[in-house]
Amino acid sequence: MSILYSEDQQAIAVETRRVVEATIDKAVLLGLLERRGAYDARFWAMAREQGWTALAIPGDHGGLGLGLVEMGIVAEACGAVATGVPFLTTGFGAARALATQPTLASEWLPKLAAGEAVGTIALAEAGATLPASPTVRYADGTLRGIKPGVVAGGAADIVIVLAEGPVLVAATLDDSVTRTLPNTFDNSRLIADLTFADTPATMIAEGEDALRIARDLLAAMAVVAAHEQVGGAGTLLAAARDYALERKAFGQVIGAFQSIKHRIAELFVAIEVARANALHAAAEDGKPEFLKAAAAARLSATEAYDLAARDAIQIHGGIGVTWEAALHLHQRRARTLAVEAGTPIFWEDLLVEELAA
Amino acid sequence: MSDGHASLRDAARTFFASHAAEFGAEARRGLTPDEDLALGRRWQATKYDAGFAGIAWPKDHGGQGRSLIERLIADEEEARFGFPNEYFGISLGMPIPIVLRHGPEGWKLDRAIAALRGEEIWCQLFSEPAAGSDLAGLRLKATRDGDDWILDGQKLWTSFGQYSDYGIIVTRSDPDVPKHKGLTYFWVDMKAPGVGVRPIKLAGGDSRVTETFFDAVRVPDSQRLGAIGGGFGVAMETLVIERYHAADPNGFGPKLELFVDLAKAIEVEGRPALSDGRVRQQIARAYAMRNGLAAIYARTVESLRQGLHPGPEGAVHKLVAVRSRQKLSEFAMDIQGMAGLANRDDHFQREDWGQSWINAPTGRIAGGADEMLLNTIAEKVLGLPQDHRPDKNVAFRDIP
Repeated sequence: MSILYSEDQQAIAVETRRVVEATIDKAVLLGLLERRGAYDARFWAMAREQGWTALAIPGDHGGLGLGLVEMGIVAEACGAVATGVPFLTTGFGAARALATQPTLASEWLPKLAAGEAVGTIALAEAGATLPASPTVRYADGTLRGIKPGVVAGGAADIVIVLAEGPVLVAATLDDSVTRTLPNTFDNSRLIADLTFADTPATMIAEGEDALRIARDLLAAMAVVAAHEQVGGAGTLLAAARDYALERKAFGQVIGAFQSIKHRIAELFVAIEVARANALHAAAEDGKPEFLKAAAAARLSATEAYDLAARDAIQIHGGIGVTWEAALHLHQRRARTLAVEAGTPIFWEDLLVEELAA
Repeated sequence: MSDGHASLRDAARTFFASHAAEFGAEARRGLTPDEDLALGRRWQATKYDAGFAGIAWPKDHGGQGRSLIERLIADEEEARFGFPNEYFGISLGMPIPIVLRHGPEGWKLDRAIAALRGEEIWCQLFSEPAAGSDLAGLRLKATRDGDDWILDGQKLWTSFGQYSDYGIIVTRSDPDVPKHKGLTYFWVDMKAPGVGVRPIKLAGGDSRVTETFFDAVRVPDSQRLGAIGGGFGVAMETLVIERYHAADPNGFGPKLELFVDLAKAIEVEGRPALSDGRVRQQIARAYAMRNGLAAIYARTVESLRQGLHPGPEGAVHKLVAVRSRQKLSEFAMDIQGMAGLANRDDHFQREDWGQSWINAPTGRIAGGADEMLLNTIAEKVLGLPQDHRPDKNVAFRDIP
C-alpha cells in the first residue's frame, strides 16, 4: 500500500525546498561541469547543517533515526535542483551497509551522521552492476584490485566494496588507494576509478549474506535516486509548462497547440506514475515486496526523467540547447542517475527474477 | 485499513467466491447473449438480497448506506471472478442516481429498487453520430408541443440500448443560442412509440451498443430533469456522480501474472521466452507502470478515507492502463507466433490476450478518448490554454 505524507513529512518537504532553493546557484553548477574533482561545497555545508546527513542513521549512532520516506523527501528536493554534490545518496547507502556490523557502525556512523566523513559504495565492475565474480580480492584484512566508476569516489573516506568470494567489506580510502577521475558529462558526481593496493578493509558479510545486503542497499539507494529523478523531472515539467505559457508563435502561446500541450500532459502522467512508485517503495522498506517496489520505482523514475529531459528541451526550442539556459544540467543528471545505482537493465532483470520466482 | 473495512473485505470475498461457480466466468462460457443477460439478472438479484448492491447508496434509496471506500472494496473483490455485471454498471452508475436526485418521489424509488435487482435496465443517451467527445454538439431535436415535447433524431453508442427499459437523454431544444445553452435533459421510456433500437456489431464481434432512433417520440414535460436549456449542466452532473471507480491497473485486460505464466511456458525462436531480453523488458516495464497505478489508486483511497478530495489521478489511470494493455496484448501475440492468432471468442478480454487486443481500441475511445484525457490534464491540472474553439459564443445553428 502506498501512503500519503503526514503533516510532519509535509513540513519537512516545504522546509527542504525552501532551503535548497535559497542555496542553489546555477552559475556554480555550470562551472562544476567543467572541473574535475570539485563539488558544491556550500550546498554540502548546508546539507550537514540541516542534519540531512543524519536523517536515516539510527539515534544511538548520532542520527535522527528517520526512514526512507523522509530520505526520499529530501532527495526529491535535491533532485529538483540537480545539486552539485552526490554524498547524501552515497553516504546513505554506505551507512545502511555499515549499520549491519556493530564495530563498523560504532566507528563510522557518527562521522557519517555529522557529515565529517563521506561514504560511498563500489559494487559494480565492467559489465555488471552486481558482479557474480568480482575481480577485486580481499585477503588478510586488505583489498587489492580496481573498482571502476565509483560515484563520489573522488572524495569518499569509506567505501563499501563487493569483492571476490563474494564478500562485502568496508575499506578506508587512505594513501594506498589511487583515485583516477575521468572527464564525465556530470563531473560533480566525482566519479572515480579506485585502485586498491593492500588497502585496509573490514569484513561486513560473506556468501549469500553479502549479496543479500548488497542487493538491499542497492535497492534502498535506488529508491533515493528515484526520488531525485522525480524531483528533477518535476522541475523540467514546470519549466516546459511555464515556457509554453509565455512563448508565442503564430499569434498565440505555444501551449495552445496540442502537439505541445499533449507532450506536456504525457510528461505529467509519466511523473505521476514515477512519484507514486517512489513513495510506495519508500514505504515498503523492510517489507517482503521491497525489492520489487524499488525496481519499479527505479524503472519508472528513470523513464520519466529521461522523457522530461528530452521533451522539456524540445519545447524550449533553440534556447533550450544553450549552455546558459542550463536545461542540460538535468539532461546530464537524468543520464547519470539512470546509470548510477544499477542500470535499467539490471533492475529489469532483477524484477523479472522476482516476478517469475 | 480500519477493522470495519477489513471485515467487509473478508465478507465480500467469501460471498463472491462462494458464487463464482454459479455466476462467474466459467459459468458464462458459451452462453448466448440472452442467456448471459438472464444469468446477469439473477446475479444482480442475488447480490441485492445479500446486501452487495447499492452499497454506497442511502438506505432510503434502496441502498446499504455505506461509504464510498466500502463500495470500492466490494467492487475490487467482485472484479476477481468475471461475473455478468456489466449490464448494470451504467444503469446504476449514472441514470438511476440522477433520476433519484431530480425525478418524481415514489416512482423513482420503485425504479431504483427494480434496477438494483436487475429487473430493469437504464441506458444513457448522450453520444450521437456528430457528438462524441464534443457532447454539446449534439443535434437530437426536442420541440415543445403543449405539455409535451417531441423528440426527433438519433443517438449512438448506447450501451445495452436493446435491453433497456428506460433512458436518460440530452436533446437540442434551442438551436438559436450557443451550443451549451440550448440543451434540455429528460428521462424517456425506451418502449414508447417511435423509439427504435438497432444493435451495432463492433470489431470484436459483440453487439452491446446500439444506434437509437427517435421518430416523433412524445415525452411529457414532467419527464424533464432540470431546467429548459439547463441540460448541459445536468449532463455534467451525471458524468461526475461516479467519479471514483475501483481502478484496474490492467486496463480491463489480463493480469501481468498471466503474461509471466505464458512466458514461462513457451519458447521464442528456440529459446525459453522468459530468457529473452525483449520479453524481460516488457514484463518489467509493464510491472513498473501497473505498480505505479496501483500506488496512485491506493493514495486516492487513502485521501478519501482522510476526507480529502483526491486530484486528477483518474484521468491518468485510464490513459496509461489501456494503452499499456493494448501494447502488451500485441506483444503476447508476437511471442506465441501463429498460435497467438487463434480467436478464442468464448473467452473474456481479462483472460485472453487476443480478446484483449481486439477490444483494446474501444477502451481507448469509450468513456473519454485518450486525446480528451490529455486535454483535461493539460488544461485542468497544468493550466495550459484551451484549444482554438470556433464554436464559442455563436448560436448553435451558425457553427461552421
